[in-house]
Amino acid sequence: MESIYLDHAATTPIAPEVRRGMAPMFEAEFANPSSRHGPGVRVREAIEAARARVARSISARPEQVVFTSGGTEANNLAVLGLARAGRGKHVLVGPTEHASVREAAKALVSEGFEVETLALDERGDLDIERLVSRLRPDTVVVACMLVNNEFGTVSPIPRIAKLVRANAPNARVHVDAVQGLGKLPVSFGELGAHTLAISAHKVHGPKGTGALVVEDGTRLRPLVFGGGQERGLRTGTENAAGIVGFSIAVELAANAQRKTHAHLSELRALLADELAGLAGARLLDVGSEHSPAIAALSLPGPPAEVWMHHLEERGVHTSVGSACQGNRGGIPPALLALGFGEEEARHILRMSFSSMTTAEEVRAGAAALRAVASGLGVKP
Amino acid sequence: MSAPDTGEPSELVVGRYGELWLKGKNRRDFERALLKNTKRALAPVAPMKLVREGAQILAIPEPGSESRVGDLARRMAEVFGFSSISRARTAPADPQAIAETARTVLAEALDALPRGRAIPFRVETKRGDKSFPMISTELDRFVADRVIADHAERLTVDLSHPELTLGIHVRPERTFVFAERVPGAGGLPVGTLGRAVALLSGGIDSPVASWMAMKRGCEVVFCAFHSFPYIGESYLAKVRRLVARLARFQVNSVLHEVPFTAIQEAIRDGAPPSYRTVLYRRQMARVACRIAAREKASALITGESLGQVASQTLENLTCIGAASSLPVLRPLVAFDKFETIELARKIGTFDLSIEPEPDCCTVFQPKKPILRGRIEVCEDAEGSLDLDALIDAALEASERRVIAAS
Repeated sequence: MESIYLDHAATTPIAPEVRRGMAPMFEAEFANPSSRHGPGVRVREAIEAARARVARSISARPEQVVFTSGGTEANNLAVLGLARAGRGKHVLVGPTEHASVREAAKALVSEGFEVETLALDERGDLDIERLVSRLRPDTVVVACMLVNNEFGTVSPIPRIAKLVRANAPNARVHVDAVQGLGKLPVSFGELGAHTLAISAHKVHGPKGTGALVVEDGTRLRPLVFGGGQERGLRTGTENAAGIVGFSIAVELAANAQRKTHAHLSELRALLADELAGLAGARLLDVGSEHSPAIAALSLPGPPAEVWMHHLEERGVHTSVGSACQGNRGGIPPALLALGFGEEEARHILRMSFSSMTTAEEVRAGAAALRAVASGLGVKP
Repeated sequence: MSAPDTGEPSELVVGRYGELWLKGKNRRDFERALLKNTKRALAPVAPMKLVREGAQILAIPEPGSESRVGDLARRMAEVFGFSSISRARTAPADPQAIAETARTVLAEALDALPRGRAIPFRVETKRGDKSFPMISTELDRFVADRVIADHAERLTVDLSHPELTLGIHVRPERTFVFAERVPGAGGLPVGTLGRAVALLSGGIDSPVASWMAMKRGCEVVFCAFHSFPYIGESYLAKVRRLVARLARFQVNSVLHEVPFTAIQEAIRDGAPPSYRTVLYRRQMARVACRIAAREKASALITGESLGQVASQTLENLTCIGAASSLPVLRPLVAFDKFETIELARKIGTFDLSIEPEPDCCTVFQPKKPILRGRIEVCEDAEGSLDLDALIDAALEASERRVIAAS
C-alpha cells in the first residue's frame, strides 16, 4: 500500500541535496572542529560557511547564529537563558506556545519567577492590547510563536516586538519560528525579536539540529558548560554534519519560500474544496492570518484519534494534537486557549504539508477521509 | 502573509544622497556607481527594483516581497554614499490622500514609542513639486489636524524638539510619507576613487582601516601573509571570514594569500633581531606593491596608528613607508584604540578579530624590537639577503581568492 504522509508539521523527509551535502562530514571531514590542524580547520570552515548560509537565509549576521540540538533546545536556551540573565522576575508566555517554551517557563517558577500566560481574543489571535497591559518594568521575557503548530495561526511578531521594546525596556522578545521557516518570510531583522528559534527537521533537514539567533548585546545565560564552543552559549563539540545539513536545508527553504507559500496555499484550498463533500467536517480558520502548511480539521462522529488510525489503515498519515506532546495524551493547551471544550478538542485532526506534498496526495487524503466516514457510518 | 494587490507596494525604501557638491561628470560617476553598488548589495536580499528620482534612490520591493522592505532598508544603510535612509509609504499628490497615508504611518510609528506619556510630535513637509496646491506649512497643518485626533492622548505638537517627525516629501512623481529617517553610511560609493591594496593582519585595526578606505570610495583588494608551519591554517580561515564580512561593504572582495615563511627565515638568519618586525613590514609593503600593480591599484592601506604599540613610531613608519613605491594610507593614524574598537563593533569585525589566533608578525618576534629604526640599517640588512628572489617566489606561490559577502 502506498504511504501518503500528511504530517509535515511533525517532521519532514530529508532533501536529497541535504543528504549529499552531509555525506563528506561522515567520511573524510570527521575531524574535531576545535582541533588546530588542517583537517580540524576544514571542518571549522565548513561550520562557519554553514553559519553564514543560515544567517543569509534569515537576514541575520553569522555571529548571531548559535547552533543547538534543535528547536526545543533553542527555545529552552532562550526562555531560561534570557530570564536568568535578565533584570527582573516576570515572564510572559503566549497562550499556544510549544511545550518546549511552556515547560521551560514553568521550570522558572521554582526559581522565583512569576510566569503569566497571555490570552487569545475571540478571533483566535493573540490579544495584543492585553499583552501590552501585562508588561511591567520587571518583565524579562516575552515568548511568542510565529506560527502555531496546531492551527497555523500567525502572530504579528514585528508589531509585538515593537510594542514590547517600547513599553518594557528590560524585556527580551523570544520568537519560536520553527513552524514558520520556509513557509512565511522569516527575517530576523524584520521580526524584530531579541532571539529566534529555528529547527532543521521541519524544513527537510536532519533531526537533532537547530539554532537560536541572538541579537547583538543580548545577555543570555547558557544551559550547558564546557569548552566554550558557540561563544560559550552552546558548548560541546559541534554536530558538524547536522549543522552542514541544516544550513543547506534552511537555504533551500528560504530560496523557495514564496513558491512554497503559493504551492501550500493551493493545497490547503484544494483540501477545503474536497472536504465540502464530507458533511459535518470543516477546516478551522483560527485567527486572522494562517500558515497554509497546516490544516486543522474538525471531524464529526468518533474522536479524531479513531479517524487517524482508520486513515492510517488506508496509508494516510496525519496527527491529533502535536507529535511533540509525546504520548502523554490529553488536550493540547492551544485548543483549550481557543475555548474548545474537551469534547470538541477530541475531534480535531491535523493534516500538514510541505513543499514536497503533491495535489494528488491531498486528493488521496480527502478521498480516504470520505471512505473512512462511510466505513464508520458517520452521520453529521 | 500577502498584502492586498493595489499595484503600488505598501512600503518602499528611500535612500538620499547629498548633491550640493556634486557637479557635472563627477555627479554622473557618483550616481552610476551608487546605483550599481546598491543593486549588488540589495539584489540578494529580496526581489526589488531600483529607481533614481531626484537625489534619491528608491528600492521598491517586487510583489510578494513587501515584507522584506525593512531588510532592504537595513542593507541600504550599509552602502556608502547615502546620507539618510527612510522606510516610506507613497501617496498620490492629493492632500486628503496624503493625510490618509500619514495616518497609517503614524499608527505604525507609535507602536515603537512608549505609552503613558505624550510624545512631542511635528509634521515636516518638503515640497519638491511646486505645482502642488498647498505650500509646505499649509500641508503640515492640514495633515497634523487630521492625524492628531486619532491619538490625542499620545501626541503633543512640538515644532522645535519633536521626538517623532512625520516627514512628507511631495515630488512630481509621487509623494513620500515616512516617520523614520536613519543615517546612511555616508562617504562615497565604493569604486569612485579607485582601488587600493589593504594589508590585513587578522587583528582589530586593519579591517577598520580597510572599511574607512572603502567609505572614501576606494575599492579594497586584500592581502594577507601566512607563515605555515609556524602558524596554522586556522589563521587564514580567520582572515577569510574577516574579508567575507568586509565584503558586505563592496560586495565581493579579492584576497591574496601570500606565503611569508621563507622571507621571515631569511630575515631571522641574516638581519639584526631588533629590526625583524620593521623588516617584515618592509617586505610586506614590497609584496603588496607588486600585487597592487597586478590589480591596478594605486595605494596601500594599513591599520597602523601612531604610538599604539611601542614599535609604531614615526621613525619605524618612515622605514616601512620607504619600502613602498605607492603611497601608504593609514586611516587610523590618529585613532585611540577604543575609537577603533568602537568602529570595529559597528562594522561587525570585532568579534572575528578577537578570535585568538597568532599572526605572522609574532613569528621569531625579538625580545626588544627597535623603537627608532633607521632606513640605512634596514637597507644594509636587506642588501645581504636575496630578498628579490624570495619575494618573487612568494608571489609565485600566493593564491588569489574571490570572497563573497557574508
